[in-house]
Amino acid sequence: MTASRSKTGASGFDQLFPGRAEEARVKTGVVELDEMLRGGFMPGDAVMLAGSAGTGKTTLALQYLVNGVKLGEPGIYVTFEELPDQIYRDAKNFGWDLRKMEEQDKFRVICTSPSLMLESGSDSLLDDVLRDIQPRRLVIDSLSHLEMFVKKDDMRMEAYRVIRYLKTRGVSSVLLWESPQISGGSFSVTDVGLSFLVDCIVALKPVEIESSMRKALVILKMRGSDHDKRLREFEITSNGIKIESAFTNYEGIISGSPRKVASEKFMEMFRGASEKQKKA
Amino acid sequence: MSGSEVLSTLLASEVRGDILVLFHRNPGLIDTVDGVARRVGRTTIAVISDVRELLQLGMLRQKRIGSSEVVYLDRAKDRELLESVGNHLKTVRIGGEK
Repeated sequence: MTASRSKTGASGFDQLFPGRAEEARVKTGVVELDEMLRGGFMPGDAVMLAGSAGTGKTTLALQYLVNGVKLGEPGIYVTFEELPDQIYRDAKNFGWDLRKMEEQDKFRVICTSPSLMLESGSDSLLDDVLRDIQPRRLVIDSLSHLEMFVKKDDMRMEAYRVIRYLKTRGVSSVLLWESPQISGGSFSVTDVGLSFLVDCIVALKPVEIESSMRKALVILKMRGSDHDKRLREFEITSNGIKIESAFTNYEGIISGSPRKVASEKFMEMFRGASEKQKKA
Repeated sequence: MSGSEVLSTLLASEVRGDILVLFHRNPGLIDTVDGVARRVGRTTIAVISDVRELLQLGMLRQKRIGSSEVVYLDRAKDRELLESVGNHLKTVRIGGEK
């Protein structure tokens, strides 16, 4: 039995449930990133936000939640690292009043130990808060902390359990991952096979170009959707993450050895020669 | 429980004060008593009786997660208790007389 397809390509099943085929995306609220994601993350997806320390993972994750609240989607930020008062303070520097959002029951910062997150039983650590504020978005900062409490072989299974727990409840999650591997020659995001468990991977990476440190963002994977494949430069501004243009004039950025592409080198030489000619 | 009783329960010891500050600054904290003790720089034995008092007062709540008992702030009860303390303080004059 084959499902009939309409002119728009929607199956008979999709036609029974209008809107299913083209579900509204989960907008990050960062306009350029949403463009890169062709509208936003897919609803209910587990997204890995990978990068080394100081690349802006926490800022982007908070921005995603704050913009969600503005769109009427409550959010939860689970941290194993910093105490919430530090997060409230840092968020305020970007103009985000998390305490006010908490008072309105639209946001929660949960601070706990990774070992408690891994406890299995009839009650989960997040049951109460999920019931209280009915979040559409959730961030875990970071999944890498679970590694300290489980054997390497069990890490994938535990991460799978966490992801399934959130997916079952229809929550779109962003899982932060401390990933020193993507800075340098290697291209691996995690060494415990988590890349296969998540639906989307956004990598943040510091790059050294002409003796200055810049930041690059790239979407490495997005299940079931087209996405921008280019490396885009971004900055952390007083309003949060701002994505700039693509690094079109450079190659080898991911491998850690950026160099100008041949055509750009040629153009530079050409410009230099014509300027000399003008002076002469 | 009157506002003055709540206030004297909350400020009964230095450790209790530390625990209150920890949970008010970090209202989303969920941890074991061991974890709470570490976060205020003390031992479990040093904090256990104060945690128990705050549980009895209703400011903290307890829950079993797998094999661990965790404590967390009951935000609604906390607001209620602080309101009663605030109302009590409004009636107190400097010098201690009402």
